[in-house]
Amino acid sequence: MKVGMISFAHLHAESYASALKALPGVEFVGIYDEDNNRGKEWAEKLSVMHFEKLEDLLKTDIEAVIICSTNADHCRYTVAAAEAGKHVLVEKPIATNFADAHKMIETCKKQNVKLQIAFPVRYLPSVLETKRIVESGQLGRILAIKATNHGSMPGGWFTEKDKAGGGAVIDHTVHVVDIIRWMLGLEFKEIYAEYDRLIHNIETEDCGLLTMELTNNVFATLDTSWNRPSAYPTWGDVTMTIIGTNGVLELDGFSQKFDIYNNDVKKAQWEYFGGDMDYLLVKDFLEACKNNTPVKVTGEDGLKTLEVALAAYESGKRHQPVAIEEIRN
Amino acid sequence: MGSTHAEAYRVLDNAELVAVADLVPERAQAIAARTGATVRSATEIIADPSIDVIDVCVPTYLHRDFVVAAADAGKHVFCEKPMARSLKEAEEMKAACDKAGVRLGIGHVVRFFPEYIRAYNKVHSGVVGKVAVVRCTRGGFALPTAWKDWYANYEYSGGLVLDMIIHDFDYLRWLLGPVERVFAKGTRGRDYNRLEYALVSLKFKSGAIAHVEGSWVNSGGFHTRFEIAGEKGLIDYDSRKANPITLTVNKAGGAPGVPVPASAWAESPYTTEIRNFINVLDGKEGQIVDGNEGYESLKVALAALESIETGKPVNL
Repeated sequence: MKVGMISFAHLHAESYASALKALPGVEFVGIYDEDNNRGKEWAEKLSVMHFEKLEDLLKTDIEAVIICSTNADHCRYTVAAAEAGKHVLVEKPIATNFADAHKMIETCKKQNVKLQIAFPVRYLPSVLETKRIVESGQLGRILAIKATNHGSMPGGWFTEKDKAGGGAVIDHTVHVVDIIRWMLGLEFKEIYAEYDRLIHNIETEDCGLLTMELTNNVFATLDTSWNRPSAYPTWGDVTMTIIGTNGVLELDGFSQKFDIYNNDVKKAQWEYFGGDMDYLLVKDFLEACKNNTPVKVTGEDGLKTLEVALAAYESGKRHQPVAIEEIRN
Repeated sequence: MGSTHAEAYRVLDNAELVAVADLVPERAQAIAARTGATVRSATEIIADPSIDVIDVCVPTYLHRDFVVAAADAGKHVFCEKPMARSLKEAEEMKAACDKAGVRLGIGHVVRFFPEYIRAYNKVHSGVVGKVAVVRCTRGGFALPTAWKDWYANYEYSGGLVLDMIIHDFDYLRWLLGPVERVFAKGTRGRDYNRLEYALVSLKFKSGAIAHVEGSWVNSGGFHTRFEIAGEKGLIDYDSRKANPITLTVNKAGGAPGVPVPASAWAESPYTTEIRNFINVLDGKEGQIVDGNEGYESLKVALAALESIETGKPVNL
């Protein structure tokens, strides 16, 4: 299967590119990037073709594209690729507003191409095992969830509102919200959020704390802060504490690590050795394209997570909880 | 808690435990036997002119009655946290102590735990820069059982928000200053269950955001955590990773035992707490947690309970 990539604006592009290079039966044809120099550099580094025009990439016989642009560009690239008949794997969040998200979903449906949102955390082996345990019923009825998706401040366009749609809240709400919906079959009803720019001199918020009401009488909190200092041993975390009537499960998604102390670096480092979720994500998406089976994470899934992030922003403005239904309309 | 405080008075040089009262006579006798105190009724103790200080460790909903009686009798009072079940009761306690000119101390012992003191000092020496987000955890054990199961009675104890994670509210207030807004969710009111769990979101006037988790759900035993992230650094503490001793003893017949972690203190923080109060009375130290501090922390805990009930944030 032939695959192309559109934009290397998002840091995950490199990891998806290595998955494309490593996957048997996959031919990574080339790259288009709105930043011509960046596209050229990556194409050279990865020994693939460089396309100066998007239409030239979309004219080739590639069957699918991976889009790693800024969040605001997701829509125009997805629509262009879908209209050229290419399946789309697009980086999260699906978009920065509902209109774009709907347009992406509808266009892909109309063009009969697959649309998957890149939620790699679903492919993390520890997350899959957690899902298995929860589904086994051992925890009893689920009462509450405490989650974190901390990170370092990514810089660049991630901190520009018009390109990213927001800061730490939109960036780090969607992963865990997706996991909770998928793992527990719950939907989000009402969102309260505290967020602020407290650490970095940037345009957007860098700290966020969401308190959420879910279906089945379940409540949850999620810390989305970009508050890992540069001295921290790793980039961040994904953690969940799931409280059930019959037990408690604590997940630390990236705890399969060892510690490194190296005099050249002057800080402790954590070396992660768990499963490569980005590789598993790309592999699964391409298999769905090849076998014409449903993708694991649909555009609608992406939209549901965007609803939570946008409700959080509305809540932060009002200092009141905001019902998802209210902002959906 | 009464027996823990009794042990502190036994250890201290400038205090002497002379009498104990308890509704359960055997418990009072056990403490008396260990400390050399006599067992008497609370009324007798409060009326005894030779006694300077009354330590109140009755259930929360009874604090006001005993503290006010002790103050009226001219005694200094050390009262276990939470200060009271309502702000009105706490106000009456403060007023009685002010009127009698006696000292009131509230047992927010977390301010005397070395890890919390160290972290406070590190933050104030600038290690993390201006504080942005703090996360605190307390609990991990099933609902405590006590006299008449009073912890399980919400009207008596206020549940885990008022009884337990008020420790974290008090610490956070000490660390970050006054609270602006509280939003909280908990299992209470959803359906009856002996499991109690609560998650609290706090916004401080300083700008900082905090998250407090309180759990009376068994997840391997009592533990505490805090993470303090700021402009240039982060402090991360988990009591489960800070145990100097892990003891595993095989059972009779060679059956494998369960590893039990243990801590080790140079001095119990409860003793440090009582030492502070006694030294305050002797004019040797400044008071760390007086009635006003206890009152402000109570306000935050009651705001969290109100938010859980109403589903709305509470502005302070």
